[in-house]
Parts: sequence; C-alpha cells; structure tokens
Amino acid sequence: MDTEVDGILVAAHELKAPLTVLRQLALTLDDTSMQNDEIRDEMVCVSERAIKQVNDLTKIKKLNDGLFEMEPVAVRGVCDDVTRELMYLFKFNRRDLFVKYANHSRLVTANAELLRSVVYNFLLSAVHYSGDGARAELNVSETRGKIKIAVRDYGPMLPSDVWREMKRGWVEKPTSVVMRPGSSGLGLYIASRFSRYMHADVGAVRHRDGSTFYVSLPVSKQATLWEM
Amino acid sequence: MIFVIDDDRIMAKCVARATGRDAKDVRIFGNVYDAINELSEELPEIIFMDVLLTGPDGFTLLNELSSYSDTAAIPIVIVSALNFAKADLSEYGVVGVLNKEKMLPEEIKEYVTKYTKRY
Repeated sequence: MDTEVDGILVAAHELKAPLTVLRQLALTLDDTSMQNDEIRDEMVCVSERAIKQVNDLTKIKKLNDGLFEMEPVAVRGVCDDVTRELMYLFKFNRRDLFVKYANHSRLVTANAELLRSVVYNFLLSAVHYSGDGARAELNVSETRGKIKIAVRDYGPMLPSDVWREMKRGWVEKPTSVVMRPGSSGLGLYIASRFSRYMHADVGAVRHRDGSTFYVSLPVSKQATLWEM
Repeated sequence: MIFVIDDDRIMAKCVARATGRDAKDVRIFGNVYDAINELSEELPEIIFMDVLLTGPDGFTLLNELSSYSDTAAIPIVIVSALNFAKADLSEYGVVGVLNKEKMLPEEIKEYVTKYTKRY
C-alpha cells in the first residue's frame, strides 16, 4: 500500500476513535440525567482533541507550501501554554505532570504554532503510554547552543515499529492500524514532520519503564528576552 | 464487582455507566497489568474489555484468565472496534462481543443482568 493511502487510513482510524466515543456519550446523555454535566465536559474534551488533530493534519499540507515562518519563540511560554491546556486531560486520566525548566526561558528559532503542536503531541502521547497514577515529566534544558524539550513517560514500552521510526530520526509515516490500540502514532508522526520543518533534532529514548521524546532547537541569535 | 478494561478512559466510563451499577461497584483499568494485579485481590462478576490496548493486548488477559479454574469461570464481554462477531471465543470465557461503533448502553446492561447475580 502506498504511503499516502496508508496515511489516510491511519488518520481515518485515529479520527474514528473520538467519533465512536462521542456517539456513546450522546447515547448515555439520554439515560443518566444525574451525570449530564460530567458527560457534557467529556464530550467537549473529546471534541477538542479531535479538532486539534484535524487542524494538525491540515497544517501538514501547509508545510509543503512553506507557509510557516521561522521566528524567535519563547520556549517557556509555549510549554506553559500547552501544559495548562492539557492539565485537565492528565488529571482526568489520573496521571501527574511535572514541568521542569533548567534555567530561564530562552528564545529558539522556530515557528510558535508548530512548536506548540510538537509539545502538545508529545504530551498527548505521554498520557496514552502511561499507566494509571503514573507521572510524566516535561523537561526543558540547554546544551551547546540548543534548547532541548523532552517529555518522559512511565508506562508500557513504546511499540517497536514506532521506536524504529523514531530511532531513525523521524517518523516517516503513521504506523499501520492493523494491530494498534487507540493511538496509531499519528501524533508522533505529526510532531516529527513539524520538527523536521523547523530543522530541529527529534528523537526518542526507550527506557525500561517508558520512553522519552525530545526535540532540540537552536537558540535564537536575537537578544534574549528573559520571561517573567 | 464489575471490571472494565479500556485504554480510552472516557469510553471506559461510558461502559461503566451503562452497567447501571454504582461507581464503587465498577473498577476501570487502562491496561492488562493493572487488571491482572487486581484479580489477586478480588474476582469480578463480569469483565467488559477492549482488545487493542496499550501494552499487552486483550488476548493476553484472555489467556491468563483461562489458565486458572477460578478466573476461567468469569464471563467476559469484548467491547471493540474490531469485528469479532464471527469469532468463537467461548473457550476463553467470552460470552459476547459488542462493536463499539454500533453498541447501545442497553446491550451492556443486558449482559450485566444475564451474567451477574445482582443488578
């Protein structure tokens, strides 16, 4: 099967999952009026994630047209923004999220919108590949003129096909849907494509008890603006 | 006690609500390891489980359950987006298969009514 068709199938599979959940929630809404508020919140949560994913997929087309400008981006601002948005999802899934900045925020040369999606998809993957009560860590550090954003999860080992793709440097295409749980690695594929567009190093480290995904971006030459 | 095993927590909660039991009578697990660990503490009356899970899949759990006489007797309902309708998994204790895309909350309740003493 060619890459494009395979990619479309994987995307369809990944988007089918939230639609299936929404259908169930809608059916439940009729039955249990006592829990309607909770169910409505869950419907919003599932819908927002699906919309985000569709938006990311549409951005891939724009990558080919070179429509994203590179600019100085404050890493801490992006990470704070994404963690705020996803905190609800971590709590809902009974995961803890710890954020650590090694020093003051630096500016990197990137596209803010794409970098945001990369961090978002790394964290979403951490939710998926962590066990109940497990923690995930977002670490931002600086080494040799580059800022490294790393997301560590503690859970079942990364599937070997996704691992092979990440080890090679980036995910060539979403992984096959044949034997894949809810996530087909589409988020990692999107993160990988966006990172590559920004000329960033992207990769993964496999641990005995989980994985770390990282992206490294060059520090912007523009005078650094220390954040509040 | 009812076990629901699904790595999509919201879907798991949908199934849990549809059982009609109080929240304290339904345990939700996101992976097979956690469910197996809990089996040593308490045997459920019925298990609703997805097949494609993060980490070991549902068949790993079916094998584990069918290996011991006490757990082999637990009725299991597969709740999956995959099509298992024609598969005969009764030797693993599977009493029913529900397609996530088409199932109705009433169908879950029916299994609870049929296979548990209290409903």
